[in-house]
Amino acid sequence: MRPRWRKVLHDLIDNKARTLLVVLSIAVGVFSIGVISGAYQIISNDMSVSYAANHPANVELRMANYNTDVLTSIHNAQGIGEAEGRRVNNFRVRAQGSDQWVALDVVALESFSKNQVNLLAPVSGAVEAGKDEILLEKDALKKLNAAVGENLTLELSDGTLKELKLVGIVQDVSTGAGDFLAPPFAYVVMKTLPTLRQPELFNRAYVTVAEGQDDIANIREVGTALKDRLDKNGTAVSRTRFSETHKHPLADTVNAILGILLALGILIVFLSSSLIANTLSALLSQHLRHIGVIKLVGGRNKQVFAMYLTLIMAFGVLALLIAVPLGGQGAYGLALFIANKLRFNLLGYRIVPMALMIQVAVGLLVPLVAGLAPVISGSRITVLRALSGDLAGDENKPQAGQPDRLPWFDYMLVRVTRILAMRGIHIPRPFIISLRNTFRRRGRLMLTLFTLTMGGAIFIAVFNVRVTLHDYIGAIGSYFRADVTVDFDKTYRLSEIQNFGLQVDGVERVEAWQFIGTELLYPDGAVADNLNMLAPPANSKLVNPIIVAGRWIRADDVRKFAVSEAILNFFPDLKPGDPIHLKIKGRTEVWEVVGIFKFVGREGILAYTPFEYSSQVLNLTNRSSSYRFVTTQHDRATQDLMAERLDHFFRGAGFKVRQAESGLASLDTASESLDTLVVFLLIMAILTAIVGAMGLTGTMGMNVLERTREIGIMRAIGADDRAVMRTVIAEGFVIGAMSFGLAIILSIPFTYLLSTIVSLAVFETPIDVVFTYMGYAIWFGLILVLSVVASILPARNAARLTIREVLAYE
Amino acid sequence: MSSSIIELRNVSKTYSTAAGDFIALTNVNMNILAGEFLGIVGKSGAGKSTLLNMINGVDQLSSGEVIVRADNENISIHTMSEDERARWRGKKMGVVYQSFQLLPMLTLIDNITLPMDLSDNYKPRESKERAMQLLQLMELEEHANKLPAFISGGQQQRVAIARALANDPPILVADEPTGSLDSITADHIFEVFEHLITDQGKTIVMVTHDVGLVSRFSRSLTIADGELLSESIPDTKLNHGRKK
Repeated sequence: MRPRWRKVLHDLIDNKARTLLVVLSIAVGVFSIGVISGAYQIISNDMSVSYAANHPANVELRMANYNTDVLTSIHNAQGIGEAEGRRVNNFRVRAQGSDQWVALDVVALESFSKNQVNLLAPVSGAVEAGKDEILLEKDALKKLNAAVGENLTLELSDGTLKELKLVGIVQDVSTGAGDFLAPPFAYVVMKTLPTLRQPELFNRAYVTVAEGQDDIANIREVGTALKDRLDKNGTAVSRTRFSETHKHPLADTVNAILGILLALGILIVFLSSSLIANTLSALLSQHLRHIGVIKLVGGRNKQVFAMYLTLIMAFGVLALLIAVPLGGQGAYGLALFIANKLRFNLLGYRIVPMALMIQVAVGLLVPLVAGLAPVISGSRITVLRALSGDLAGDENKPQAGQPDRLPWFDYMLVRVTRILAMRGIHIPRPFIISLRNTFRRRGRLMLTLFTLTMGGAIFIAVFNVRVTLHDYIGAIGSYFRADVTVDFDKTYRLSEIQNFGLQVDGVERVEAWQFIGTELLYPDGAVADNLNMLAPPANSKLVNPIIVAGRWIRADDVRKFAVSEAILNFFPDLKPGDPIHLKIKGRTEVWEVVGIFKFVGREGILAYTPFEYSSQVLNLTNRSSSYRFVTTQHDRATQDLMAERLDHFFRGAGFKVRQAESGLASLDTASESLDTLVVFLLIMAILTAIVGAMGLTGTMGMNVLERTREIGIMRAIGADDRAVMRTVIAEGFVIGAMSFGLAIILSIPFTYLLSTIVSLAVFETPIDVVFTYMGYAIWFGLILVLSVVASILPARNAARLTIREVLAYE
Repeated sequence: MSSSIIELRNVSKTYSTAAGDFIALTNVNMNILAGEFLGIVGKSGAGKSTLLNMINGVDQLSSGEVIVRADNENISIHTMSEDERARWRGKKMGVVYQSFQLLPMLTLIDNITLPMDLSDNYKPRESKERAMQLLQLMELEEHANKLPAFISGGQQQRVAIARALANDPPILVADEPTGSLDSITADHIFEVFEHLITDQGKTIVMVTHDVGLVSRFSRSLTIADGELLSESIPDTKLNHGRKK
């Protein structure tokens, strides 16, 4: 090997700590971008492939009971490909030997072998259930500790218990794919329905369109025509859902979330590049003498440039060797995690070529770009300057032609020290040295501060976003603030339920709520979307809406309703007072919007009308099948207990209870989903913090190295180990404290930006930002620890040097 | 009489510092003859290192001209760019410093091979062979694969001289090459220089603060406050040889 390349090799391997710092700085960025881009590629491909492979329905119709004749007519309708009827009922289910009830949607199929739409994929055991047998969707196992071969106990609405044999586990990636809060599924054959005291009739239709399965406009058109036809023929359709074959219903949300993570990944690359620039610039300044010698013996600029460029490329290649395999594993791990959460399958572990190319490009180009400026200036340095030993590069040192005065920081320091001294406050001299040292290499200080500040600001912002999201979920929960909701299979008089309900210990109040399934119509009569209209008493304290425009409902409102912001997707200019066409019980009516409130867009359009008026619409005066109970205590445990107690009580009293659920149950599920997202954000924030800490360690190491001579002088005039270490650690602390101050400021716009992006992706609406001291407090503690820890190693190295060594440096 | 190999015409150098302008050299005119061992003697701060840096092109002059006549070329070195000067120096002028300036991570043989590698004057195998020859000349062949830190100061200085000779330049400039060596080792270095002049016809310019060394040069110039004051030609064996 030629001597110049041997020098490059030695530069790479002789200073292992420095090489490790640079390589890890590059690797962190390459890893982050590899994980995100890989996961993005895997998910965007596998999510649609896996979803489409199960022949998902393009149109899902929730209907009143219907028979095979209606199913045949659906099948024969224009534009329809496949059509399958199913019956879905919610039951409480218990595993053998367990007393824990779990609510499951039990789906009855006509025939497992003729299953054409929303296919079931076998996981274990049988793939078909016979009479009085049941299959479980694999997600149900998370809540139900059951094994194939065991019996499951189902509680019927009249309180009767029935046992079905669990014969297999299947996976259904299509049914309920778009619903985070969908209950787990179980599958039976229609012949089992009499055992469950259900009619052998369908209440759902799963339909594919014959053509244009990825054309949502076509799907809507075919679906709406089908629905109209069913309505005209007397089969009421309460809800329709449209989806494309090759697009998972949550694809947009997942892509938006991955987009946020990608932005953070790019930021990490950016931050690590500033760290690389810092380290390489220090490396070059340490190598000035080497460059001087090379030029002295005939080395030209381009030769020096090529040597250091090769060194940088070597750093990049080493980083790639670490980060590419880890990034590949991380990408698949992240994709698998998301796939499990959203119930779709991956096509197996693989190297994603695009992600690999991005990683290679980032791993080689980022250090190249970051190191270009220091390498160019290093390679152009004159022999005289290189050999003159001016290695400290003190930017405060007076230069020729500069006015003869102290730099501003030193001037301020002198003034402040003097003022404090006059008041009897004496700042220790070593601390003044630390303060001045901090500002000596301003370029390096700026890059270090930038990295640490960005890391801190993102870290703090993630905590704020977490609280913001939870606060919003809490606010959403305030639309249904009942402690327990009990749904019955038939309607009961309010007075009857009140009389019974208030007998249960811990129940304070009972409200009857009604539900009207309606459709939002365009002025031309075409269906825009479903509209779920809830009808609580107008003075209900269980709803605390976030009103965006207009007012809340009143008891005397007739054909008036308050509606969620999601309606603006269909009528962007809608305002309170405007008329809206609705289809209610097959009739087209004109209602007036009295107010618009905030709600999760993804959950569809929600509306409220007073119970007082809905009773007339439904012809159910003072009757309902859904009751809200307010209990004396409102924690989750009490709610669960009260739900259980009310369920038992009403069943015992002969009421046909369908379900009793605690108010916080579904909110907790939503919060868990959001926490998963927050964990990802936090991982990215921690990665940025790591890059920041590495930056600080590198900076402190370089500062100490460059000031070896000064440390020698300090020791020569009596500074002991502790004094030297204190000076270095105090410098790290000052940088940490400054970055914390800046991070506080920067965290505010970051919080707003991140909250808005996340809320638009998840809730489809911007939400009010909430700040928490938590992120600030944790980051403050963390930055203090990081600053000290990052300074300890360089400080120890400084303290270990003997006077002879340090004064002989260079 | 030998011809002039280096000519300095009205060379001046002024440094601008925060404390004001500092005149390091004032109107220096001198000729360096081919094959002579010229000593430039002066106290610390007299301007001798600055003068040397004008000759080897490491520093830029403020005014004047330095012309080097080697291998049938007349070159005004300060008209070249820094990069061109580096290339020229690599081939035509070897430089030796008091602090050796060896690259600590390279073995002795690699340090000597480096100028040949950078100039592409020799093929890799030839450069290795030549480096070994130079090490033999310096009686250091058994240390060829050691790092500089593992040999003595005198040995390091001989390696630095070997490196300066790597591309077989006609001129060697040395800045206090014996300044950090004991007298026996320094004497050895002088023997090497004398050998290079008498046997290889090199021209050597050396600066020193030690007036006791004047007798070792074929000619010496005294410098003080940036001006050349006097010239002396001692009666040495080098001059005897030249007279022959």
